[in-house]
This record gives sequence, C-alpha cells and structure tokens, in this order.
Amino acid sequence: MSLLTPELLRRLEQFQLLAARRAKSSAKGERRSRARGQSVEFADHRSYVPGDDFRYLDWNLFGRLDKLFLKLYEEERELPVRIFLDASESMTFGEVLAHGHRSKFDFARQVAAAIGYVALCGFDRVSVVPFPNAAVRDGGKTETSNAQLPTSNVEQSAIGNRQSAIEGALRSVRSKKSAMQFFQNLNALTAAGGADLNEALRRGALEARQSGLAIVLSDFLDPAGYEAGLTALVGRGFQVNVVQILAPEELAPTTFGDLRLVDSESGGLQEVTFGRYRMKAYQQTVQNFIQRLREYTTKRGINFFMASSNMDLQDLLLKQLRKSEVWG
Amino acid sequence: MSFLAPLAFGFAASIPVVIVFYLLKRKRVVKLVSSTLLWQKFLADTQASAPFQKLRKNWLLYLQILLLALAVLALSRPYFATTAKPAQLRIIVLDGSASMQAVDESPSRFEKARFEAVKWVDSLEPTDQMVVLLAGANAEVKQSATSEKAVLRRALQACAPSDSPTRLGPALKMAEALVRDRRSAEIHLFSDGAVPELSDFENKALPLIYHKVGQRADNLGITALDARANPEDATQRAIYTSVGNFSSNTMSADLELLFDGQLLDTRPLTIPGGQAEPQVFKASQAKDGVFTVRLTSKDDLAADNEASIVSLLPKPVNVLLVTRGNRLLEKALRAAANVQLAVANDLTDAGQGFDFIVLDGVVPTAWPKGNVLAFRTVNTNWIESVANVEGPVIVDWKSTHPLLRYAGFDNVQIVQSLTARAPTWAVSILEAPQAPLILAGDLGRQRIVWVGFDPLESNWPLRVSFPIFIANAVDWLNPANAKNSQLLIKPGDPFRLALAEPIKTAEVKLPDGSTRQLNVEGANEVVFGDTAKQGIYHLRAGTNQVTFCADLLDSAESNIRPSDELKFGEYTRVTATTVQRTNMELWRTLAAIGLAVLLFEWWWYHRRTV
Repeated sequence: MSLLTPELLRRLEQFQLLAARRAKSSAKGERRSRARGQSVEFADHRSYVPGDDFRYLDWNLFGRLDKLFLKLYEEERELPVRIFLDASESMTFGEVLAHGHRSKFDFARQVAAAIGYVALCGFDRVSVVPFPNAAVRDGGKTETSNAQLPTSNVEQSAIGNRQSAIEGALRSVRSKKSAMQFFQNLNALTAAGGADLNEALRRGALEARQSGLAIVLSDFLDPAGYEAGLTALVGRGFQVNVVQILAPEELAPTTFGDLRLVDSESGGLQEVTFGRYRMKAYQQTVQNFIQRLREYTTKRGINFFMASSNMDLQDLLLKQLRKSEVWG
Repeated sequence: MSFLAPLAFGFAASIPVVIVFYLLKRKRVVKLVSSTLLWQKFLADTQASAPFQKLRKNWLLYLQILLLALAVLALSRPYFATTAKPAQLRIIVLDGSASMQAVDESPSRFEKARFEAVKWVDSLEPTDQMVVLLAGANAEVKQSATSEKAVLRRALQACAPSDSPTRLGPALKMAEALVRDRRSAEIHLFSDGAVPELSDFENKALPLIYHKVGQRADNLGITALDARANPEDATQRAIYTSVGNFSSNTMSADLELLFDGQLLDTRPLTIPGGQAEPQVFKASQAKDGVFTVRLTSKDDLAADNEASIVSLLPKPVNVLLVTRGNRLLEKALRAAANVQLAVANDLTDAGQGFDFIVLDGVVPTAWPKGNVLAFRTVNTNWIESVANVEGPVIVDWKSTHPLLRYAGFDNVQIVQSLTARAPTWAVSILEAPQAPLILAGDLGRQRIVWVGFDPLESNWPLRVSFPIFIANAVDWLNPANAKNSQLLIKPGDPFRLALAEPIKTAEVKLPDGSTRQLNVEGANEVVFGDTAKQGIYHLRAGTNQVTFCADLLDSAESNIRPSDELKFGEYTRVTATTVQRTNMELWRTLAAIGLAVLLFEWWWYHRRTV
C-alpha cells in the first residue's frame, strides 16, 4: 500500500515547511539561521581581525573609509524535523472501510509521510520517532507472552530486530532522493504494545542535538496524560505541532448494550451500559477531552489539529496545515 | 387477626418472579476497544458529580412513576358505586329446586347461580351483612346475617340442589321477615323462574332482585305416574304416565317401563314442542313391586326422566257389618269391588281382622279400633251434643270430598236424623241448616265416617248416590288404600309410617344405596324427612318392610324454561335484573395493570440498551 498518491506528492512538493524560529542545526541547509556563514544573503559588517578570510573583505568600503571591514553573510542551515509517531496498540483501531482497513496508525503514517516528504523536498533532515520503540515493545512482549508462546519467540524477536533496523533507518533521513526509502520504511512500521507518551516525548526532546520542528501524531489516549511530554518539547525549544487522531468509533461508538470493554493496551476491563440515548453525553465527553488538549496546546504556542482517521487526508494536509502556517 | 381478602396472598406468587429477574445475569458483550480512557471519563461525567441533575426525559422514569401511582391507587382501594345503592342487608336466596339441576348453563344452573352469588359476596362492603337462604326441599338458613366473606362463601359452597319442586314461598317469607324493618335491604333471588304461584307476596313490596339463570328449555319430563288395576282385565295392572315436552322443538326419546328393575316394555316417543303425551302400559304383576318409567333422552334436566311407583296387589277388603238387619246396606256393600262381608249382630271385640267395620244403628259392646262407618250411632266418644232433628233439609254437600265423589243429594229426603257439632278432627260433608248430617275425618289413626241418620229412614237407598257413596266409603276406609297413597311422596316431603307396636330403631335405604338409622324409641310412627333425592326408598322398622318412592312428577318444575319475570299475583311483576354486582373494587385491576407496567418497564430497560 502506498502511503501517498503521486498526485498528492506533486502537490506537496510545492510546499515548504515554515519555521517560525531560525534554524539551529549545525548542518548546512537551506534554512536561514542565526549563524553567519556563506550564502548570498548579506547580514552585517564587522571589523577585520587578523586571520579572517580575505575573500570576505569589503573592498569598496576599504576604498572609501580606508578601514578593513568584513562582510558577513547569513549562513543557511537545515531545519531538523522530528516526527513523533504513536505506534501503540490503540493506534491500530479505526474505521473498517469498504476498500480496506485504515486505522489511526495508517492515517498517522500518511501524515508523517506527507510532512516528511515536504521536509525532504526542502533539504531538511527528517527523523521519525515511533513510540513505543522496538526495544521497549520487545521487553514488554517477552514478559507477557513468554510462558504461553515459547515457539513464537524466535519469530517475535525476528520481527523486533527488523523493527529496530527500520527505526534506525528512520532516525535521520535527508534529501529528496531517499524519499522512496523513507516511505517504505514508514510502511513497514507496525503498531503494538502500550505507549508512554510523556516518556517518549521527553526522551525525544533530550536526545535532539538541535531543536527544530516537532510533529506529534498520536491519539493522546494515555492515562498518564500528555502534559509533561509536550512541556519538555516546548522547553527544549521545539516548534511543536500536534495532530490528534481519533477513530470514528471512538468519536461515536456503534456498539450498544451491556458491554465489557477491554483496553487494548493495558488489558483493563470497564463495564458500561451504553445506549443510543447516552450518545450525546459520550460525544460531549470526547469533545471535552479534545478541548482540554486544544486549550493546553494553544496556551503553549503549539499548533493543534484534530483528525478523524476516516477524514480526507488532503483536507488536513492541504487546508488545515497550510492555514495554520505549518507549511506554505 | 383475620383478612378481608385472604386470596390476595396469592399475589405473593409474583415475588419469585421478581427474584427470577434478579437472578438473571446481565449478559455483557465483551468488546475490545483502543482505550478505556474515554469511557472512564464518560462514566465519571455521567455519574452524579452533583447531587442533582437536570430532569431528563426518560421513559423509565415515567414508567416507574406510573407504577407507583397504580400501586398507591390500588392501596387506596377505590370502587365504583354505580349500579346499585349500597344495602346494609343482602339476602341471597338460592333456588335449590330440581329444575336448577338443568345443565343448559355450564356446569349447571345451580352452579351458575352459586357462582353469581359468590360474586355478590365478593363485592360485599365491610359494613354490609348478608344472609344465605337455600330454597330447596325446605327453606334453609344456610348462614345468618354476617359480614364475614369467608363464612358466606363457605355457606354458599355448602348449598346443594335437591330433586324437590320449587318451594320459594317459605324462603321468601323468611327473607321478608328479615327485611321487614330494614330500611335498606335487598333480597337477591337466584332462580330460573320456574316457580309456582307467589300471590302471597303480591302487595308486600319486597325489595326483590331477581337474577335469572338458565338459557333454554330442552327438556322431556315425566309429569304423571299411577298404577291401578286394569279396568278391562282384572289380572293386569295399568300404569298411567304422561310425558311432557317443554322445549319448543319436537323431541324424541324411548320410554321404558321397568318392574323391580326388570325391563318390561319400551316405546319410542316423538312429542311436538310444548305438548304432553299420555301413555298407558299394561303389565301383569305377580307380586308387590315398584314400577319405574324412564326416559332415555339426553335433555337438560335429568331429574324428571325417571319416576317410580309402588304397586301392591289388590287385596280383598274384609268388612264387618254390625246390624240388626239392613238388606239395602248389605247389598250395597256386597256390590262394592273386592269386599268380603261378614254380618254380625253385635261387636264383642275390637274388630281385629277386619279392614273396617260398619255400625248400623247399633251400640256395640266393644268399640272397634279400626276404621268405622257408623250410621246413627249415639253414645260415642267421637262427637258431642248429639241432638235429634225432625225432617232435616239437605242444603249443602261437599262434592269434592272423596266420599261424595259422583254422589249427589238431590231429591234425598230424611225423616229424622241425629246431628252433632263438627269436632275438630272431622269435616262436615253433608249439611242441614241446623247441623251437619255426615262427618268424616281421622281421629288419631282411626278413620271415621259418621252418618247421623238411618238410611232406612230416608229415601237415600233408592237413589243412585247411595251405592256410589258406599263404594267410595269402602275405598276411603280401606286402610290399604290409604297406605298405598302414602307410598308416593314428593321429594322433600316427609314419609310417615304408623307403628303397630313400639320399636327402637328403623333403617332407611336411600336411592343412592346409603342407609340411615332412625331412632324411633317412644314414638308411635316413623317420620323420615331426608327425601331430597328422588327414587326408591326402603324402610325397615321392626318387622315392617315398606318401600316408598319420591318422584318429582311436577310439570311446573319440568318446565325449565327460564322466565324473565316473576309473577306475584295478578299485578306484581319482578323482572330479571341484568345487574351483576355492585361496588366492584378496582384495586385488583390496578394492581394487575401495575404488574404489567413493571414487566413492560423491565423489558423496555433491556431493549433500549441494545
């Protein structure tokens, strides 16, 4: 399954990620940065000190003032784009459509692919951080399934190894040429296990050598909350964009009656008697949940997008993100 | 402690139903969801965060309120007082006559009447009283005035119909006495209206409510039965019977004649509606026995399909004529059928061995103990103040008396006669202006005919009425005839048997085969009153063995057509009421609806969550 249609890719090529802050990456790129360096953009003059490169001396000024000045140019640097991709079990849910299954995770991967592609087209470095990562997942898996499924252990670890390799490949991607590989790697990702959103974001913030653009793709259905993680990202200096992806059945459940609900991640049980007459109350609860996240992010200058996994991808990519000036 | 409606404890049966509901486990559908986080938040939101919330439109709430309202309404025990004003005293008169056994109502008219009566008991107000009377063979007070419904129900259950003709009169008289000074009292008569004349109550303004039971009158019934010597052939008996068809349609049946249980004859009968057909069977009879006629039809009333009669072989009548010579009298006596006459000048003993004794102007040495026909006999202890009258003129005679049947006294002249005032035991059947000339009656167990004049001192022996009178007297005074006539009674009537010698106990075998012991010590007769069922009874008292029959033989009773109105004399009518019962309490209905609502609520609760 291809994540993005060629037509959509063509349209995405016209975009460029808009960074509100100057790029802080040490690697050269096409972003304006505070760093002075070699480019065509004149930035300032400064007095010559011995050892400066003669090539940047402003000879015209020397002629007029008989003093040596050095021409400073803005150095163009890359924008590190970090995509935090929720790959927990809960992301595997979503609408079962006639032509196939598009889960929240599928949707999130599409968004990640689109953003990654835009970034790659702009010569920016893209790193995708799926969480829980393979190491965490394996640790959890073996603990629980050791006893019951000894035979599948080998298989499990093989998958885990492959997953780790993919994650490693996604950690740093540059240039448009590697876009196809990037897509393939994204496509090969699987979602399983329970995620700790806060921990993943915090670690991501610490690991980043430079801050940059951070995209968080998750359903934010984490009992521990999301505040600590988002705060860590903002505190590290990331420009954060949050896309909350919920499945239609989470927005409006279609199963009624006396239910015993099983949490896919924690396995926890919840008994609920649910009827159509309580639908409004439920939807209100969901809206409250979304609204709290929206308010929290807006206060901290984070762009917030709400997406249902069955919504039109183009609507999010070509309208909402553009309108919010994530790219333009 | 007692309960007004102990039957209500039956509702306790609904308690297990409720328990069953709670035993039912709610089957929860297990469903895997991405996260229960939203659901937890949802439950936390909806569960009362505040003690009160906005009243939401919830059908469950409405149902529960409705249920509660119904329960409260039921507890308040409302009732409608529409159809009749409450009466303080209600007298239930159940007609227990034979016609109430008709099965045109299911299971029978009597059961239907009882069912209706029980409904009235149910609707009795706590302050009201009720009396239960059963008008069967006799009027019986089954329950005196009470408010206890259980007692009244039990009294009604104890009522049973008899085979007797309707005897509403005594029951109504009893009821009338009970309601006489009551301002609000009602007499509820449950009957089919097949009742005899009730003109006694014409002007009594009885507060009578007549509840008609019965639907149709498909009935063939035996309405008459008699067994006599065949006038054409002395060796045979003739059994006269009459079968009436009381339906409006032509009905057919076989009429059987049995003698002591042996089938003698069968005749197919087809009788047009509303008509009666007399039938005469002839049968030779070798011994005393019981003739039974039986209808084999299946009709609504079974009680009148069989009748029995005791038939005794005719025996010669032994007559002793004590006379100084009276050839005319002697000749008249000899002319009577079956008479074996002995003539004597005087009577020296009590006349044992003779069926009756004729005293012709003779004062006997010993007075007879049996029946007596006495002509111009003075110095008796039967009558007082005997006087002599010259040439009495006959002014009146009782032609309805059996003695004077077909005997007229036109052109009879009498020279002289003794007259006496009629004593209490006798009736005067021939009268002169001064005093009676012939007295007849029963003195103790002695039947006496006293003629004041000597026939030879009149021209009576020359008249045709004289031998007729003598023949009638032979019939009337023959103790066997009197006894025979007692052997056929109506159900419910007592049977009497005079005892010649004192005995201690008697035994009666009833038609159903059971026996009753009677204590008759010190009595000079056996009286048996438990004759409510028709059929053949056998009485053994000492050495006496008597068979007697109780037969309905009542065309008024066999006519089971339910009448819509009761006639009290010529002008008063009581029309059958359509009122069923009054003061019907509603709480049972309400409770039932409440239960239904509860069940519906449960169903609704389950349905809408799915």
